[in-house]
Amino acid sequence: MILELQNVTKRFKNKLIIENLSISISLNQVTAIVGKNGSGKSTLLKMIGGLMKPDSGQILFPDEQPISIGYVPETTPVLIPFTLLEYLTHMGRIRGLTKEWVEKRIDTLLEIFDMEHERDIRIVHFSKGMKQKTAIMQAMLEETDLLIMDEPLSGLDQKAQADLERLLLSLKEQKMSIILTCHETKLLEKVVDQTLIIQERQVIQMRSQQLHDKLINRVVFELSNTVSTDIVKNAIITDKEIADGQRLVELHISQEQTNKMVKELLGRGASIKLLEPLHVKETEFLRVLKGEENIYS
Amino acid sequence: MRALIHYFFFTYIRTHRYVPPMSLFLMMLIVNYHYVPNPILDSYSFTALLLFFVMGWVTITIMHAEDEGQKQITLIHTKNKRNYYFALIINCMIVGLILSLLAVAYPLVIHAFNSELHLVHIACGFLAHLSLAILSIALSIFFTRDTVKSNINSWWGVISILVVTLVLAVARVEFLRTGFISWLVPPLRFSMEIMSVGDDISSIPAQAYWQFGWIFIYSLIFMLLFIKIVQKKGTF
Repeated sequence: MILELQNVTKRFKNKLIIENLSISISLNQVTAIVGKNGSGKSTLLKMIGGLMKPDSGQILFPDEQPISIGYVPETTPVLIPFTLLEYLTHMGRIRGLTKEWVEKRIDTLLEIFDMEHERDIRIVHFSKGMKQKTAIMQAMLEETDLLIMDEPLSGLDQKAQADLERLLLSLKEQKMSIILTCHETKLLEKVVDQTLIIQERQVIQMRSQQLHDKLINRVVFELSNTVSTDIVKNAIITDKEIADGQRLVELHISQEQTNKMVKELLGRGASIKLLEPLHVKETEFLRVLKGEENIYS
Repeated sequence: MRALIHYFFFTYIRTHRYVPPMSLFLMMLIVNYHYVPNPILDSYSFTALLLFFVMGWVTITIMHAEDEGQKQITLIHTKNKRNYYFALIINCMIVGLILSLLAVAYPLVIHAFNSELHLVHIACGFLAHLSLAILSIALSIFFTRDTVKSNINSWWGVISILVVTLVLAVARVEFLRTGFISWLVPPLRFSMEIMSVGDDISSIPAQAYWQFGWIFIYSLIFMLLFIKIVQKKGTF
């Protein structure tokens, strides 16, 4: 364990954001915090990062020694008027690191992040993905115990997301403790060891191991508006009208239920547009965003 | 702290946000001294008032030079919210000092004054500029994004407080100048009173020491109060 939150509560203008929350963050693991917009994910990260105080409760560290934390904010800085080298040097010096240390560390980071050729380019000319990498580099200027990333993939195009995902995997291989919030389910599958879902001001801990065993299929049907979908109502992810009297329905169904439900809907005149296996964590994540109960538990 | 001051200074320089307020101030200086000769202390008093308003603009642009994302990053690295705001305020003061020196030196360089110039005129002129620059910073910081959410309200707030301060300074309302309330009213009038003694002085008037001194102390109290308020808003 790298840190533990005990009975933490936070309010904003009398609105309760987080209530009596207790979680522990594992050492050398990637922990994802997921939840709907406004559920308090960023607030939780800011409290862990020390940018915000909890109204009540405690944040405890092992050996009672505060740990070194690197923080990547949700809003990537866009108006940085320095070159990459100048910027990282400024941040390192502000942190109190010696000039020699900062110079060496910057060389290492430029290599890890494959940014050697950009060292003397002004950050304002960087793509969004490169700016995000810069934000992560500054968070790693000191050898941090915990890297906090608020929506690291937000706003990035697919290529930049894939690059960043590779980078996170390499950091994970180096046994770095990372805590992040995200909306991108793809990221959850490959990088994250532990998922914490915030729902109604509380955290539901989802252990990846117990969920790995369950196989889920994504099935998309086209069917008439007159056809009843009562039999699969708990498995519906989306239901939208596409043409006069026709609609597309997406279902996430467990492996055991798939044959039965597909047969039933085909019998009612529906046609299958897609049937593919789905990672269960992705399914669970989508359900949380929709505020539904977990049908698999 | 030194690294932080250095970083804020270069951020401000590189963002070029200093260009509009400083250009305006320079233009006003040039226009003011276009016709020569000029009275010494009256002229300095006028340009000190100009600086008082320009420093409101400068303060907002320095305090907002970083975007929100970068501000969070800088705060994390600083590990101390008080140092973060001190460094910003010191940067405002550095700009105030540079503009004060410029405002005092420019008329000397172009020989814009009519009377015989003594060191006391230069000292009074410099103190008038610097004290009003610092008073302006102390009043304007209360309308930055740390205490006022909307950017528009920041600008209206700064303009309003500076204009109200000037009105209070020139208003001949007795109750504002006596008792407890006189300690609360921004002491802009002290600078104006000292600078209106005429050019025939041979030494700094005795009351000038405590009057300028009070402007600096008043400003310092407000700056510390601001830092206390923003510190309460989070950790560090």
